[in-house]
Amino acid sequence: MRRELNRAFHTALLITVSFNAVAAQQALRWGADPSGGAPYVFTDPAHPDQYIGYEKEMVDLLAAAMGRHPEFVPSDWETLVSALQRNSFDVIVNGLEPTGDRAQQIIFSKPYYIFQLQLTVRKDENRIHSLSDCSKHTVATLGNTAASRMLQQQNIPFRSYEDPPGAYRDLELKRIDAVLMDVPAEAFYARNNPKLKPAGPPFFRGLYVIGLRKGDDKLKAEVDAAIDKIIIDGSLEQILKKWGLWNDAQVEFQTSIRQGVKAELGHIDMTTATFNWRDALLRLTRAAIVTVLIAFGSMLIAVVLGLPLAVGQSNGPKIVRSFCTVYVEFFRGTPVLVQLLFLYFGLPAIGIAMPGWLTALVGLGLNYAAYESQVYRAALEAIPKGQWEAAYSLGMNPVLAFRRIILPQAFRIALPAMTNDFVSLFKDTSVAFAISVWELATAYRELANASGQFLLLGVAVSIFYLAMSLPMAHLARRLEDRLRNRVPETVDLEEVAA
Amino acid sequence: MIRVTDLRKHFGPTQILKGISFEVAPQTVVGVIGSSGSGKTTLLRCLNGLERINSGTVECGKVRLEAKLSKAEYRHRVRDLRREVGTVFQHFYLFPHLSVLANITEAPVHVLRRDRKSAETEAYELLESVGLKTAAQRYPESLSGGEQQRVAIARALAMRPAVLLFDEPTSALDPKRTVSLRTMLRGFVTRGHTMIIISHSIGFLNGLADKLIYMDSGEIVEQGPAEQILNDASDARTRDFVSQAS
Ligand SMILES: Nc1ncnc2c1ncn2[C@@H]1O[C@H](COP(=O)(O)OP(=O)(O)OP(=O)(O)O)[C@@H](O)[C@H]1O
Ligand SMILES: [Mg+2]
Repeated sequence: MRRELNRAFHTALLITVSFNAVAAQQALRWGADPSGGAPYVFTDPAHPDQYIGYEKEMVDLLAAAMGRHPEFVPSDWETLVSALQRNSFDVIVNGLEPTGDRAQQIIFSKPYYIFQLQLTVRKDENRIHSLSDCSKHTVATLGNTAASRMLQQQNIPFRSYEDPPGAYRDLELKRIDAVLMDVPAEAFYARNNPKLKPAGPPFFRGLYVIGLRKGDDKLKAEVDAAIDKIIIDGSLEQILKKWGLWNDAQVEFQTSIRQGVKAELGHIDMTTATFNWRDALLRLTRAAIVTVLIAFGSMLIAVVLGLPLAVGQSNGPKIVRSFCTVYVEFFRGTPVLVQLLFLYFGLPAIGIAMPGWLTALVGLGLNYAAYESQVYRAALEAIPKGQWEAAYSLGMNPVLAFRRIILPQAFRIALPAMTNDFVSLFKDTSVAFAISVWELATAYRELANASGQFLLLGVAVSIFYLAMSLPMAHLARRLEDRLRNRVPETVDLEEVAA
Repeated sequence: MIRVTDLRKHFGPTQILKGISFEVAPQTVVGVIGSSGSGKTTLLRCLNGLERINSGTVECGKVRLEAKLSKAEYRHRVRDLRREVGTVFQHFYLFPHLSVLANITEAPVHVLRRDRKSAETEAYELLESVGLKTAAQRYPESLSGGEQQRVAIARALAMRPAVLLFDEPTSALDPKRTVSLRTMLRGFVTRGHTMIIISHSIGFLNGLADKLIYMDSGEIVEQGPAEQILNDASDARTRDFVSQAS
């Protein structure tokens, strides 16, 4: 007992001491997106509490060369630049490419890696052999990368993904036809996949640099010196070899550094898609159209499907009644986001792979059908029993009475609530960004992250939403007015009657 | 025209109608009187199939409802019955989403499958006969109670029923309108309709009904020619009711 206590005390002391020693060193806080981030930095499958990756190892070396201790700040790829500006960390090390947009917001270190792009297709693909065959096929890539900008410039239809695994999985599921990705990620996620194959050789040369806050010139000098050091002493070469990333491009690049040639950004292709408003508005418009289509499509499903649900739940036989109740409670009781993720990622397991926009449309439709059914139910119950009886007494059968007498009145009662639901459905289309559908919210996130124009783009996107939802509310009000009974005319009927 | 034999109706354990029998001759008016809760409305609802009878028969024209019929057969006969019988409810139950004209043409067009043009022409004639021709395009909400009632009458007549059932037709009318309603209904009788009218107003039935039925707690206490019930009832309860009501 006493010995154990003693040991615990010693351990505690040891931890404190070593902690102090580390704390004495300055930290190098570095930000990167570890989700689907192999081989840059990612969660070690063998030790889920640890991060591994070639850039992780590289940062360890850099930090050592700088006399600092590395501190990893897991972050989100799309928001790396703004997180850096908010001082969440000191440097971005995440296969970051220098671009004109980013140059306006942050500064860059020397390059440390030359990357290439690789186009990947399904094994049975025989139409696509290079990027030039893709003008009529959808190509997937990561948002806000050299690859995505190249696709945009060449007017190739593309979809942005959050991480490489998602893109390659959708390629397998035939939701898209090709993936364009930086070679490091392609090598890790696609090269050994038996269902996929490369389309043509790697092409294009771009640079990975480290991103720093503007004004952090002292740190930049430190980082640049450290990069030179690990290239010249060959330790970076070792890491790259270990990760299978050593190739001709690196040989050329590192040799020139060792010979004292300054790496000039001009030597290498740079995808300088600078942000321009005309382009952004065009893409926002496209996103707005997608948003509208999803909203209308899913409202149609909801309005149509809600009716049998309502009738089934109120008047159906017992089985139908309990089915409808379970349906309604399930869709109202679980988050729509989870439902979408399930439809998108879960259903392919049983062979149903819908494209993202269709998933969003169907998912939101199924979800809102549950809400509409309750609106209908309340409306139907609000119709006096006498309306049914009057219809029956005139010889109508239940179906005719329902269709001609009850439903129109219920619709009139339900309309305000339905309008409300439609407006919120309209806004709920934004959850589709979770399954990479290019609707307004996704567009805002991507464009704003690429440009840093969170404020102005935010205003623009809000205007888009309002420009669509206000006319809708107005239309609905007009419809309500039309359905409401007309103002009585000023004819004295009593006189006519007498 | 109508023959009701030993009609019984209960809701749960409570007997509401305890063996009702009466007949209505064609082109006559039968008034049903009786205190509140005596079962008049329930009787009426049995006569147009809104309540299923528990025992006895209802015959109307060629249709014969029997308590012992299977559910499907009963429903089938109720459908036929409703071709013979039109109902004007106490609260009218006009269709608020339809114009006056559409209220009247709705059933002829969709149930009888008559063509809309001729249904509308006839609807205008009916509206004229109830004195509401100019209201065709208005909506029920904007009509007075008396006007709504006349639309309800026209709506029922548009199905050309042989028999009209009325539940408390005078409850929404002032004395002057009561008199003009009586005149109007008399007119419909001369044109061939038969009527059963529930009313609390003896004054209204006096001169309109050919025959009166006095009900009390689910039973017919006395029935006979209106003259006799009003002036010379044989049962003391009837005499009491009539003298108190008039
Ligand atoms: N659906 C029902 N369930 C249970 N009881 C009912 C139902 N309908 C009517 N009753 C009962 O049957 C009795 C007769 O009702 P009914 O409406 O036929 O009376 P009434 O003679 O029309 O009365 P009033 O002159 O007040 O209109 C009442 O006691 C009423 O409470
Ligand atoms: Mg009554």
